[in-house]
Amino acid sequence: MKKRLSDLAPDETGIIEAIDGPVHDLMCLGLRVGKTVKMVTKQPVKGPVVVLSGEVEIAMGIGTAQRVMVIVTPQEA
Amino acid sequence: MTLRQPEAGPVSAAADAGGANAMFLSSDARWEMVDALAARTVSPGSYEPSLADVVGELTVRPLTGIPVALAALYAFWSIFTSFAGTLMTDGFMVKIFDGYWLPWLQSVWPDPASWHYFIFVGNPLADNSLEAFGVLTSGFFVSIGVVLPAVLIFYLTMTILEDSGYLPRLAVLMDTFLHKIGLHGYAIVPAILGLGCNVPAVTATRILETKKQRFIMMTLLALFIPCGAQLGIMMAVIPESVGIVFLCLLIGFGLFGFILSRLIPGENPEILVDVPAYHWPVKEYVAQKLWNRTKAFLREAIPFVLFGILLVNLLYLGGVIPALADLLEPVFVVWFGVPKETAGPLIAAFLRKDLAIAQLSNIPMTPYQLVASVVLVTIYFPCVATFVVMLREGWRELLASIAVLLTVVFIYGGMIHGIGILLGVA
Amino acid sequence: MAANGEDVTTVLMIGNPNVGKSALFNRMTGANAVVSNYPGTTVDFTKGTLIEGNRTYVIIDVPGTYSLEPRDAAEEVAVRMLRHRPDATVMIVLDATRIERGLYLALEVMELGMPCILAVNMIDAAHEKQITVDTAELQRLLGVPVIPTTAISGEGVRSLAEMLRKARVADVMDISGRLKGDPPAAGGRACFGCGGCGGR
Repeated sequence: MKKRLSDLAPDETGIIEAIDGPVHDLMCLGLRVGKTVKMVTKQPVKGPVVVLSGEVEIAMGIGTAQRVMVIVTPQEA
Repeated sequence: MTLRQPEAGPVSAAADAGGANAMFLSSDARWEMVDALAARTVSPGSYEPSLADVVGELTVRPLTGIPVALAALYAFWSIFTSFAGTLMTDGFMVKIFDGYWLPWLQSVWPDPASWHYFIFVGNPLADNSLEAFGVLTSGFFVSIGVVLPAVLIFYLTMTILEDSGYLPRLAVLMDTFLHKIGLHGYAIVPAILGLGCNVPAVTATRILETKKQRFIMMTLLALFIPCGAQLGIMMAVIPESVGIVFLCLLIGFGLFGFILSRLIPGENPEILVDVPAYHWPVKEYVAQKLWNRTKAFLREAIPFVLFGILLVNLLYLGGVIPALADLLEPVFVVWFGVPKETAGPLIAAFLRKDLAIAQLSNIPMTPYQLVASVVLVTIYFPCVATFVVMLREGWRELLASIAVLLTVVFIYGGMIHGIGILLGVA
Repeated sequence: MAANGEDVTTVLMIGNPNVGKSALFNRMTGANAVVSNYPGTTVDFTKGTLIEGNRTYVIIDVPGTYSLEPRDAAEEVAVRMLRHRPDATVMIVLDATRIERGLYLALEVMELGMPCILAVNMIDAAHEKQITVDTAELQRLLGVPVIPTTAISGEGVRSLAEMLRKARVADVMDISGRLKGDPPAAGGRACFGCGGCGGR
């Protein structure tokens, strides 16, 4: 299933499929197409989100997260 | 793999000088190589969250993180008031300055009635360095006796917050609110610093990315963040109303931040930061950073504080400040609803806000008038030292800030008066 | 500064933020560090000296950056410092647990044609997370010395200092060739007898 990074629920994992927006900045921080990301936390009232990718933890504004598409990894039951 | 021709830019200039075999890849080609290199040399381990990771998550999740943030800020605050306020300033600096430095200067400086005595030593009858208001008395006392200990403890806490990795998490938590008023999570740094002293806080606005963000922060800082000296006197003079005053300031901060972020042109980029893992700060590096920052403060801020007092004393001698007080009296009485005697202290607030609050306590007023005038003094002009460091950030920004300041003081002062009338207390 | 000007080499320490660069800097230079303000900016950088054998190195701790396409004031300073010292040696510091984004910056620096040396720092943290970095292979692929270090404990700092004089200009085309072509075990060309790779 494909969704926006901003729509991942906390602890949900996905693989980045496309990035639109500050591509260079995101890549330099370690978020690139093909990388696995896990949603750590979403701040309330459209606050920033925090994601984990490998050893890299990154906080970004909700607007940035809305421009990153991910394929959701099925959760093992 | 795509190769790009060396472009005639700043980077290729360095390459030309550095070596003939300089080669430029496209960003994609570079990432391709990075992946290839990593695939050949790095084998990932099994990821097991460590204690630091668990704590890291807890402090960035809103439900657990916000209480922790409040506790951290409270701890920060209590260390600050006890160490910088009580121990260093009251216990040590005041004794040195009032006991030795001031009496000595007053005894050796010739001719107490002269203009140079007024400028450099100040009031010949003053028995403490804060109220003397000379360049060499109050100037040195404020910068070394009051501001330096405050700055030292703030820089120390800040460095520990930074080196331990807590700061980015705090910034993330605060970004939810701060981004909506045109700022950025890292604006929490100048905001905290401002509660100690606005002088280093103005310098700390450089942490923000765009001009717009820096301007909004600087203006809000000058308006709504009371400095340590003001807080101390507030608690001494109107202890029962500090809560209400704070509420007024906090509402003002949010309200005018929101308005400013919509009025001021410019960008307000979203937060995008690395959140590093927690680790214990290393003593030596903390000490070194602290020393570097303090040294920079001594070199940059103190000359400006001294210069600011010199300037204000010259204005006083020239009769500019008393004339302004007379001129603005009607505004205070009619629009803000405070007694006309407050005009003097409110104008003097430009010199030292804390002195003004102390003077206000001697004027008979209703509780409403007292709260209103204390709020006014706080949001009013920053003290002269802040004013001068703001000038260093750019005179255009300073002039714009002053325009906003005057407007906000006028509107917000009127609003408080209006609410007071509605509630029947004014 | 040494009395003999000929033996003074400027070393720029560059790396991502939070890779322990400052810790490594302090380890290498000891107590004689001074802070300078880079002209025209408000961002501080730290400068210190290291005497290794008969050579004197002036080491400059450049503000952390992710890329040479600057995002903020601190990163701009980093780029400008590289540009103003084209004859300097560049020490690129990487975080062993987050090696990819460090390598990106390393490649960008290498493209400038300045002599480079890599320090793969925080090796202890990588061990804890069971991440292994084959620094010997990385050295062979890149053609510049690669030293594993742990700045906090001081591990590897000594050999990093000794290897500074072996820093060399990397050729991106050669790296690309080695990545594509020759099999992983065929040392030969990249080995310049530094001892770092155990003569592989």
